Amino acid sequence: MGVVMPLNAETAQARTQRVVNEDSTDIALFVRSSQDDMTGWNRQRIVDALLRETFIDRGTAEKISRDIEVTIQAGKVKTITGPLIREMVNAKLLEMGLEEARRMHTRLGVPLYDVDQLLVQHNKENANVPHGPEATNLTLAEGIKKEYALLHVFSPDVADAHLSGDLHLHDLGFIDRPYCSGQSLEYIKKFGLNLPHALSMAKPAKHAEVLLAHMVKFAASLQSHFAGAIGWDAINLFYAPYLEELSDDGVKQLAQMMIYEFSQQAVARGGQAIFSDVNIYWEVPKHFVDVPAIGPGGVYTGKTYGEYEKQAQRFAWALFEVYKEGDAAGRPFFFPKPLVHITEKFFKTDGHMDFLHHICEVASVKGNTYFVFDRGDTAKISECCRLSFKLEASDIEDAKQPWKMRYSALQNVTINLPRLAFKAQGDDTKLFALLTEKIQLAAKAHGQKKKFIERLMSLGKGGPLSLLAMDLDGEPYLKLHRCSYLIGMVGLNELIRVHLGQELHDSDESIKFGLKVIAHMNIVCNKLAESMDMKFVLEQTPAESTSFRFAKLDLAHFTTDAEKVVQGNREKGEVYYSNSTLFNVGATMSPIARVEKEGLFHPLIEAGSITHIWLGEAQPDKEALASFVINVFKYTQNDQIAFSPEFTACLACGKTSRGLSEVCPYCESKDVDGITRITGYFTKISSWNKGKLGELHDRYRNVDRFNQ
Amino acid sequence: MTLFTTDDCVLCAQLKKQFDLSAMDVQVEVLGNNDAGALAHLAWHGLVEKARKGLPILVLDDSSALHEFPHIESHLLDRAARCGVAARHAGNQAGCESGSCALQ
Repeated sequence: MGVVMPLNAETAQARTQRVVNEDSTDIALFVRSSQDDMTGWNRQRIVDALLRETFIDRGTAEKISRDIEVTIQAGKVKTITGPLIREMVNAKLLEMGLEEARRMHTRLGVPLYDVDQLLVQHNKENANVPHGPEATNLTLAEGIKKEYALLHVFSPDVADAHLSGDLHLHDLGFIDRPYCSGQSLEYIKKFGLNLPHALSMAKPAKHAEVLLAHMVKFAASLQSHFAGAIGWDAINLFYAPYLEELSDDGVKQLAQMMIYEFSQQAVARGGQAIFSDVNIYWEVPKHFVDVPAIGPGGVYTGKTYGEYEKQAQRFAWALFEVYKEGDAAGRPFFFPKPLVHITEKFFKTDGHMDFLHHICEVASVKGNTYFVFDRGDTAKISECCRLSFKLEASDIEDAKQPWKMRYSALQNVTINLPRLAFKAQGDDTKLFALLTEKIQLAAKAHGQKKKFIERLMSLGKGGPLSLLAMDLDGEPYLKLHRCSYLIGMVGLNELIRVHLGQELHDSDESIKFGLKVIAHMNIVCNKLAESMDMKFVLEQTPAESTSFRFAKLDLAHFTTDAEKVVQGNREKGEVYYSNSTLFNVGATMSPIARVEKEGLFHPLIEAGSITHIWLGEAQPDKEALASFVINVFKYTQNDQIAFSPEFTACLACGKTSRGLSEVCPYCESKDVDGITRITGYFTKISSWNKGKLGELHDRYRNVDRFNQ
Repeated sequence: MTLFTTDDCVLCAQLKKQFDLSAMDVQVEVLGNNDAGALAHLAWHGLVEKARKGLPILVLDDSSALHEFPHIESHLLDRAARCGVAARHAGNQAGCESGSCALQ
C-alpha cells in the first residue's frame, strides 16, 4: 500500500497554480499524440503522470507502472493509447484503495457511443441551441467542463446534491464564466469597441449603424464570457443622440437592423443565438433625466438625456413596428426580447396610451412584449427569462455615469422543493429544517464558484477572462464584489400538494403556506448574505430542463410519492414539476386571478418573477390588453407579465398561421413546426425537451377571456 | 386586525407603549429575521413593498391597510375607546430619522 499525501489547501493551491502557469497547448498535444505502439512504450510516463497529478509516493508510482507493463505485455495488446493506459492505471489505483489519487488522476472524456449519438441526435437541453457541428462542439465541451466542475470546483457534498437531484447547479458546462450580464450601451459609446485580444480597435461610433455593429459584436463577445443572457438597459434612450439626423424611415430601418441582427445570430457560440434582452422606456427614467448625453464620436452632446425623450420614443415606436411585422415569414422574432417598463412616470408621459396600445397590439399579434412593472420608486434592469437587478442607491449613483452600470449574477442554484416534502412527510418543522439545509448547501456552492471565478479573474488581462478584467473606466468590467448569487426553486405547487394534499390554486390556505415557504427562503437568504458577505437573492428559476430533470429523478428514486404529484404524461415520459412558484399551468383560472395570486409571491423573490398568460390561438383586442396591463400595475403586486400566442410555421409553403396545427391551413402540408414561448422566450416547439412538451399539452389557454 | 412591526421600529415601539394591543384584539406581527409566518402574512396582504418603505402598517378587518402613523394612531384610539381599554395620545410623534421603521 502506498502513502497518500494529505490534500491540504496549500498543496492543492500550489498544484493548481502550476497547472495554470503551464501552456495548456503542450498538455493537449501530449494527450493527442500519445498513440505509441509497444515499440515506443515508456513506463516512466506513468510514473511522471502519477507524481505530477496525484500525491502518491514515487515507490508506489513505480510499482503501478511495472504492474501495468506486465499486464500489457501479458495481454499481447496490439495497439495502446494514452487513454487506455490511464484507465488501467485508475483501475490499479482503485484496486490499491487509493481513491483520492484515482479521483485526481481521472480522465475527463466522453464515450465513443455518446459522441456518435451527440453528432447525430439533437440535444434539447436548451431549446435555443440548434443542431449542427458547432452545437455538438458546444455540447462536448460542456460535457467535459461539467465533469471538471463536479470533480474539481465543487466539494463532494455539493456535487452529490446536484447529481442526486436535491438541487441543480445551472450551467455547469460554463463553469469558467459568470451566469449573465446586464449593462448600458454607454460603455461602447464612450470607449468604442476596444476588446482584449481583438485584431483591431474601433473608436467610439459616429453613426447609428456603426454603433449597432459595435453593440452586436460586443454582445457576441459577452456571450462568450457569460453562460446566459446579455441585457441592455434603456436601449431606446441611449440610442437617441444618434437619431436626430435620421428620418422616421431611417429610424425604422435601424430598428429593423437591430432586431434582425440579434435574431439571426445563430452563427455565434455553439450556433446559439445570443439570449439578448432590450429594456425599453417610453418616458425618460428619473435617474437619467439630468445625465449628460453621450453622442456620436463618444463626446457629450451638450444636452441631457431628459432632452432626448422624443427621439427615444421614436425609436421605441419603430422597434415595436418591426416586432409587429415579424420576420420574412411573419413569424415572431425570438430575440432580442423587448422588456417595456411600466412605471408611475409612464402614465404621466404624453402619448403613453397610444404607446401602450401599440405594444399591446404586438403582445396580441406576435407575443413579443414583456411588461415589467416598476411601482413606486423602484427601478430595475431586466433580462434572461425573468431575472431583474433592482437598482440600489449605489446603482443610482452610477447612473450619473451610465457606462458604469453593469450587473451580473455569478451563478444560479435551484432547490428541488417537492423532494423536501417527500422527506418531511407532513411535518412542518422537518420541512423548514430541510429547506434551510438545502439553501445553506446552495450558498456553499455559490461560495465555491465565486472562489473559482476569483482565481480566473486574478490572472487579469493574460487570463481566460481578460474581457471581464478589462478596466477601461478604472474598474474591471465584471464587478465581482457587486455580483448577485441566485437561489431558485422548482415545484412549489407540488410541494404544497404533497404537504397539504391540495395545489396552490385550490385554496387560500395553500397559497398562505406557499408564501410561508418562500418567505422562509427569503429570510434564510438574507441571513446567509449577511454572514457570508455575498448577495444571495431568490429568483424564479426558468427551469427549462430542471423541472423535467427533477421530476424524472424523483420518479426514479421517490417513486411512490412522486407518482402522485408529478405533472405531465408519464407514459410518454413527458413529465415535469411546475416552474418555481407558478400555479398549475392547467388550472382553470381567469388571467387576472392568476396574475394577482401568483403576484403575491413576487415581492419575496427579489431577483425576478413572471406570470405567463397563454393565449393559444386567441388574438385579443389591444384595448382589452391595455386595460388588463393597467389593472395589473395598479391593483396587483405582480412583477412582470407576458402574453403568449401560438403559431404554426409551414416548412413547405413558408407561411405562418395562428394556433398550433398538425397540418398547414394554407397548403395542407404536414411538414410544420409550432412556435410559442417555452419558459421566458419564443422558440420552435420541435426543439423542446420532453418535460416542456408535457407542460405545453397541459397549458390552460385563455382563448375567450379577453374579449368577453 | 393586524399591526405589522419590527423590533427596531421606533414608531412601532411608540404604538406598543401607547396601547394595550392584545386587550384590543389587535394581532401584532413582528417582521424580522426569524419569522417566516409574519412575512408570509404580510405578503398575503400584498404589503411587502409598502413595508419596505415604512412601518408600522395596520391591516383592518376588511383587509384595507393604513400606512400613515397619525391615521393608525387615530384608528387605534377609536378602537381602544370602543373596547374600553385605556390609551393615551402620544402627543409628539417619535422620529424615525434612522430609517429603522421599515422592513429591511
